[in-house]
Amino acid sequence: MDLSLLYSTCVLGAVGLYLMMRPGKGAIKWAGGIVALAGGAWLLAKLPDALAMSPETRPQVFFWVFAVIAVAAAGRMITHPKPVYSALYFIMVVLSSAAIFLLLEAEFIAFALVIVYAGAILVTYLFVIMLAQQAQGGDDPTAGSEYDRSPREPAAAAVVGLLILAMLSQSTLGLADDPPMQKSATQARSEQWRELEQMPGKLQAFLDTEIEDEFTLGWADYPDMVSIAIDASVAAVRYTAEDGTQATAELPESMLPDNIQRVGLALVAKFPVSLEVAGIILLMAMFGAVVLARRQIELGEDELRQTAGMRRLPIDSGQEEDSGGAA
Amino acid sequence: MIDALMNLSLGQHAAAPFTVLTLSHYLLLSAALFVLGLLGFLTRRNMIVMFLCTELMFQAAAIAMIAFGRYHMDVSGQVFVIFILTIAAAEAALALALVVLLYRRKETLNADAWSELREPAGE
Repeated sequence: MDLSLLYSTCVLGAVGLYLMMRPGKGAIKWAGGIVALAGGAWLLAKLPDALAMSPETRPQVFFWVFAVIAVAAAGRMITHPKPVYSALYFIMVVLSSAAIFLLLEAEFIAFALVIVYAGAILVTYLFVIMLAQQAQGGDDPTAGSEYDRSPREPAAAAVVGLLILAMLSQSTLGLADDPPMQKSATQARSEQWRELEQMPGKLQAFLDTEIEDEFTLGWADYPDMVSIAIDASVAAVRYTAEDGTQATAELPESMLPDNIQRVGLALVAKFPVSLEVAGIILLMAMFGAVVLARRQIELGEDELRQTAGMRRLPIDSGQEEDSGGAA
Repeated sequence: MIDALMNLSLGQHAAAPFTVLTLSHYLLLSAALFVLGLLGFLTRRNMIVMFLCTELMFQAAAIAMIAFGRYHMDVSGQVFVIFILTIAAAEAALALALVVLLYRRKETLNADAWSELREPAGE
């Protein structure tokens, strides 16, 4: 492919960035941002084409790009003196690992990760950081708490960390043989087809469009009436019509269960107890958070008494004296 | 499409370390992120950043699980990551509530401020 595509997207991005960086003019800034974003996205999508790469090598390029971004952002996250920036760098780690999940064909997890992690958990972290942060002076790099700027035993920790990393890499790279595969590619594919047997709704919709005469899957006789047959990588559904005759319909490739259907099926069919336990854990965490937050409101009442000129509650001061004596 | 990433096998990395993606590439990325999270947890003094570093370690574990799941053509790894997300959310809610309580008491996020909780040395 010709390189003019690359150059034109670069020019587009440069123009957009210039419009964004110019002081003032809100509307022009927005337009510039959109132009720059569009240029960047176009470049990212077309880069493999422009570099004349085969479709097989594209995941590699994106893997290296996002792996480098993830590791660099993680390194900056643990070294940045300001906690807010640490949290923002962690969002970058989450986004790039979501991209890596896309490379691994885990689409549902990738988007769930962005929504739950980057969207919910990290926003909670940011709120707490901003709640519990002393006022700090602007962009001065020496500003900030002393405990954020001076790490604890950095040399010892670096040595320990790199030793562990060396051992972990040794254990993955130093293997002489492949770890045994659980199943071959064709086996895995036929298993994916067979998961359709547990998705009667999808099969019903297919049979409705495929077969003229009315054919309804009854839940009771379902396992006997429908089965999936795989023959030389061509899958077909074998079903019993209402008059008792057996028939077969070939399944198109689009009927293969996709990632989200397979994850959902595994979640409820393979790990139902774990799902229940996860629900209980979330419920308990909610109770815990509510209980802890209630104690904060009690502290707030104490402060109210103080500002109203009343004495502090005797229980609270007694606790403080006790802890001081123990220390 | 199913076979697009079937070169996810070990043993080829010696021949072409950059152009062929193997399981070990993903495991190495996971190990690097995990070690960085561990280092951050050991060296940082800010309690919130320490909890953020545990989230980084969760993230590294999730990458390893998804890579293994892809290698074995099994979605169980992805289901485990859903549970990791659950635990991370529960942990964030509880830990952050506790951090806010601790902050109210001592007006600092420094974990060393609570070092009186440790066992006295030499006893």
